[in-house]
Amino acid sequence: MSTPPTAAPRSGAGADRAFELVTAGAAWLVLILLGSIAASMAWGGRLAFETFGWQFIVSREWDAVGGRFGALVPIYGTVVTSFLALLLAVPVSIGIALFLTDIAPRWMRGPIGIAIELLAAIPSIIYGMWGLFVFAPFMAAHVEPWLSEHLGPLPVIGALFVGPPIGIGMLTAGIVLGIMIIPFISTVARDVFNAVPPQLKEAAVALGSTRWEILSRVTLPYTRSAIIGAIFLGLGRALGETMAVTFVLGNAHDLSLSLLMPSNSIAAAIANEFTEADTELYRSSLIALALLLFLVTFLVLTAAKLMLMRIGRVQGRTH
Amino acid sequence: MPLRRKFADLLALGFAGAATVFGLTWLVWILWTTLVEGGAALSPVLFREMTPPPGESGGLLNAFYGSAVMVLLALLIGTPLGIAAGTYLAEHGRYSRLAATVGFINDILLSAPSIVIGLFAYELVVRPSGQFSGLAGALALAMILLPIVVRTTNESLRLVPNTMREAAFALGVPRWRVTARILYKSALAGIVTGVLLGLARIAGETAPLLFTALNNQFWSASLLEPLANVPVVIFQYAMSPYDQWHELAWAGALVLTAFVLGLNLLVRFFARGANK
Amino acid sequence: MIEILERDQLAAHTADVPPKIDIRHVEFFYGKTQALKSVDLAVPANAVTAIIGPSGCGKSTLLRAINRIYELYPDQRATGEILIDGRNVLDRRYSLSALRRCVGMVFQKPTPFSTSIRNNVAFALSYFERLSRGELADRVEQALRQAALWDEVKDKLGDSALSLSGGQQQRLCIARTLAVRPEIILLDEPTSALDPISTARIEELIHELRRQFTIVIVTHNMQQAARVSQRTAFFHLGELIEVGDTTQIFTNPHVGRTQDYITGRYG
Repeated sequence: MSTPPTAAPRSGAGADRAFELVTAGAAWLVLILLGSIAASMAWGGRLAFETFGWQFIVSREWDAVGGRFGALVPIYGTVVTSFLALLLAVPVSIGIALFLTDIAPRWMRGPIGIAIELLAAIPSIIYGMWGLFVFAPFMAAHVEPWLSEHLGPLPVIGALFVGPPIGIGMLTAGIVLGIMIIPFISTVARDVFNAVPPQLKEAAVALGSTRWEILSRVTLPYTRSAIIGAIFLGLGRALGETMAVTFVLGNAHDLSLSLLMPSNSIAAAIANEFTEADTELYRSSLIALALLLFLVTFLVLTAAKLMLMRIGRVQGRTH
Repeated sequence: MPLRRKFADLLALGFAGAATVFGLTWLVWILWTTLVEGGAALSPVLFREMTPPPGESGGLLNAFYGSAVMVLLALLIGTPLGIAAGTYLAEHGRYSRLAATVGFINDILLSAPSIVIGLFAYELVVRPSGQFSGLAGALALAMILLPIVVRTTNESLRLVPNTMREAAFALGVPRWRVTARILYKSALAGIVTGVLLGLARIAGETAPLLFTALNNQFWSASLLEPLANVPVVIFQYAMSPYDQWHELAWAGALVLTAFVLGLNLLVRFFARGANK
Repeated sequence: MIEILERDQLAAHTADVPPKIDIRHVEFFYGKTQALKSVDLAVPANAVTAIIGPSGCGKSTLLRAINRIYELYPDQRATGEILIDGRNVLDRRYSLSALRRCVGMVFQKPTPFSTSIRNNVAFALSYFERLSRGELADRVEQALRQAALWDEVKDKLGDSALSLSGGQQQRLCIARTLAVRPEIILLDEPTSALDPISTARIEELIHELRRQFTIVIVTHNMQQAARVSQRTAFFHLGELIEVGDTTQIFTNPHVGRTQDYITGRYG
């Protein structure tokens, strides 16, 4: 230039590079964190895996005194309660999403949407307390006797509904868990329902379709990946949930088929027993459980994210 | 229109309405219970006395204090790191494989089981130091806060239009200064919202504190010892056989819920106002 | 009449003096797609050069090469030389900061920063120069006067820039650019998002500014190009088709394609 700037810029490439390093470093930290968690759990659980081998995953034993531990009961309880939770939450969430995007008058959508989201904001320990002091007694007094009386005698599925109506058990825990994950699935479902291009819906309306037909033939097929992603997201949350389940699942060490019986989940077992674990093997077994939980939730959440990303790509978003 | 189609439609609409009522009923039931049970035990004593031994009555002062300290410390650790990482993701997102990977992993961490994070903090701090501490608890909470702040910072910065970036860079100002003085200012509302929502989340977390901060019956101001905190107190008291402890647990539950939900609603209305 | 005389004087002038911006064999790529093919263009000092052509012809691309704003996007690159006062600014070693201080750019969409009017103008200025509060205020006033905005905002410098109208915001962006005293100003369709009155004011502004600055304006509005510029360059499909005095281009274009575009055979 004919006249260079009178003063050189006060800071330039040096500060830029420092900024770059700091932000990149923080980004790396996230990766390192994930890796460290996995590594730490693997390291802590190695004693259990060395001692029990693969048997650990299928063994029903849980004997603190004798030092024999197996993951089957916690795994079973985790799977069953999560499955029950999804059974409850998925149809309800889709119904709520439909209501909020298509049926409710506009002025209602905001407040009700926020109310549903508040379900997610309530700390899980509150769910646990409510479950223990209010809902479990309710189940014991009104629901479980009915179930064991009417469904218990039936062949095959009857085995799911036998047992004393104590309220604490897999069914109650599954229901509480289901309520907890409703907002996670329904907010994603609502967002993707709203993202369906209006032209598709309008074309269906022009052909005389009913609301239900638009939902089932246009909206759901279009958003299928995302809905499955949302379900996986809810599942991931349900698998790892601790406090809501710990209060009402019962911390039992026996495997029961009946939903009315208490059981254990991985998270609940760790929460209830870790501070009392007095031997290395005991602690290591619990950490091994944590590793299993972490790996499974990681896989489920990865699947969820991939599904959810697909609808983003369909719409042409860049991230 | 054939009756069958109309019927199916009405059934579906009815189901959607019923599902919404269903969902809202649980919300009301849970909140109502908390209000009634907690309200009965609510009194100024809560904020004046410490947690009592079994069978006696008292307050939750040390628990409130401990929770406040750990949450604040977690914010101090997690917020700058989260904003820095989120900035990297937003400014390099489209062109960097690192950014894409970190964004993906971050969203996984966001939903990871908090009890596992608590165990990690145990292995990292409690085991080597030989004791439970408020510091370990704060660290665990910071690790739960981090992905939330990363994500909201990333999303908020991405909302700033590229034209503003170009206009700022075209003036010759270096990247860090553009980010610090122009971009953050534009994205501020979003970032603050994220931090506050993260605060609401970690204030209510129990599992990560179970094996880190544990609990402390007495007053403790030191972060290097077990530190009383509201969620773990609620847990221990609720699971106990003592009525007075149950009452205190409900009172604590009410205060905690009011704080968390209040913060949530405040943030949402603030965000709405800012977006208008 | 006076306008035409000025233009003729300029024509004589530019033949002898080296150009302010000398664009040599510049090619531009978005990833694998080539957007500019071997462009050679001389831009004279203290004059307005208009770049016209149908959409997608590369006119904005060329502008964005001059101040290297394309470097924000890793998949975009330019080859060739752009000499400003004889020095190649496309050279990696040339300081981006110094370049962008010397070459200001105003974009199509007015983008005020989310801060006060005063801070918008002072933003880059306080980075480049150490000024006292009084000096800073003076420079801010100067820039706003040059952009013909001072009278409208002098009582509300602390107000948010977002409270201004579209035309005012664009003049604020111009003031922002003028504050650091560049020598060259690049305008990328500066009035296409504005109403006719604001457009007229900005065209007036351009006319005043050209005595002090070298201005390059990209516009899809041929009448605007005819109104404000002394030189016009016509681009088509990434190539420079014809360049010459504005009067000549619009009344007697030498190349067929230019003629077709001017007469509206394609847009």
